Amino acid sequence: MANTESLENVVLELRRGVIVLAALSQLSTEQYGYSLLKQLSDQGLEVDQGTLYPLLRRLETQGLLESVWKLEEARPRRYYIISAEGKKILPKLKKEWFDIVSVMKKMLT
Amino acid sequence: MKLIERYVSEVGKNLPLIKGREDIEKELRSTLEDMLEERAEKAGRPVDEAMEIELLKEYGSPNKVAMTYNPQPYLIGPRMFPFFLTVLKIVIPIVVIVLLVLTGIQAVTETPLMGREFINIIGDGLAGIVSAAITATGYIIVIFAILERVLPDSEIDDLKTDEDWNPASLTENDPDTVKRGDLIAEIAFTFVGLAILNLYPEILGMSFFSDGDFFFVPMFSDIFLKFVPWINAIFLIEIVLDIYLLRKAIWTIGTRIVNIILSVASLTLAVVFIRTTDIIGFTAESFANSPFTPEQAEKFITIANVAFSISLIVVIVIVSIELIKAVIGLVRSLNKK
Repeated sequence: MANTESLENVVLELRRGVIVLAALSQLSTEQYGYSLLKQLSDQGLEVDQGTLYPLLRRLETQGLLESVWKLEEARPRRYYIISAEGKKILPKLKKEWFDIVSVMKKMLT
Repeated sequence: MKLIERYVSEVGKNLPLIKGREDIEKELRSTLEDMLEERAEKAGRPVDEAMEIELLKEYGSPNKVAMTYNPQPYLIGPRMFPFFLTVLKIVIPIVVIVLLVLTGIQAVTETPLMGREFINIIGDGLAGIVSAAITATGYIIVIFAILERVLPDSEIDDLKTDEDWNPASLTENDPDTVKRGDLIAEIAFTFVGLAILNLYPEILGMSFFSDGDFFFVPMFSDIFLKFVPWINAIFLIEIVLDIYLLRKAIWTIGTRIVNIILSVASLTLAVVFIRTTDIIGFTAESFANSPFTPEQAEKFITIANVAFSISLIVVIVIVSIELIKAVIGLVRSLNKK
């Protein structure tokens, strides 16, 4: 039981950092929370709503995202898009990610 | 959609008082409506209450959802916590030691060192210390919880002194560096001493009721009072020197000399006290109207005199050690120049 729990915790920790990169990478075109959630899911990354929405707000506070409310289909939706600051950081984050992957690949195989 | 409305407002109630609360509610409502619509399309039937219930159940309890938005899940955050611990480690021992000394003084001076009254004072004193320590801890927690929320992030980062940490400090053991903890304790004790001596001299004595009359026998005689200005002067200079050292953080030749003069003055005063007779105010006459029998009074007077002499000898030994250390420090500083 304890083992399953610690496995879950480690997996959660691993995914947490990845979600930031995934979200930033998908927001070069504007999207609202639920459409981003589906887009990530379609590509194989399942993210909990309870994780994604607060994360989007945090990234906006940090200046990496911008958001705007739009009214469509009789429903207001909050659209997020990567900011200038986010665009500057994204390539660095990507490089960091590929470095980690290549190091870990060597280490684990 | 009624359930969604209620659900959203329930989440809103549980949201911490943060900016954009309405925004969060609005976004949550929009998401839930999107999800519900999608489910209805898949099921090929219009939205009904069962569908809403299923969706909200999956989304989680309003409290859980609200918590995911909480940017401040800590009372005192991890960045502030080390600083909080440092303050706690300084304040609590000072509170405990000061109260312990005050209780000791009260027990020794206000009771005949035995009996129910003595035990009562000690018991009350110890209970008071526990409650004072808890109260002080409470105040510190409240102050830090407020600071955590009021201070901007940049200020909190400034509190981290570890970044300036220099590995060279591991090998360097500069004898000129002042020990802040010692100084803070010394300031606290000297201050308490000054306060008792000048503001609450009634602590230094014995008071009791006898046949409905109140009696007070001061611990020290009038001869002692002549020395009070000298004691005050030494204590005040000590406090000024300690505060100056706290600010400068380093001993200099000047401060070492002042410290040596202070030690010599304290030593002289202690020696004069030992050589002066009748400095203790407890005499057979002063207890004449007390509930003590003359034999009891005499025994007590002897105990008081012996205790006073022993305390003076302890003071002389401690001050002498301090004096020797100060002289060695001065010689070292002079050789360095």
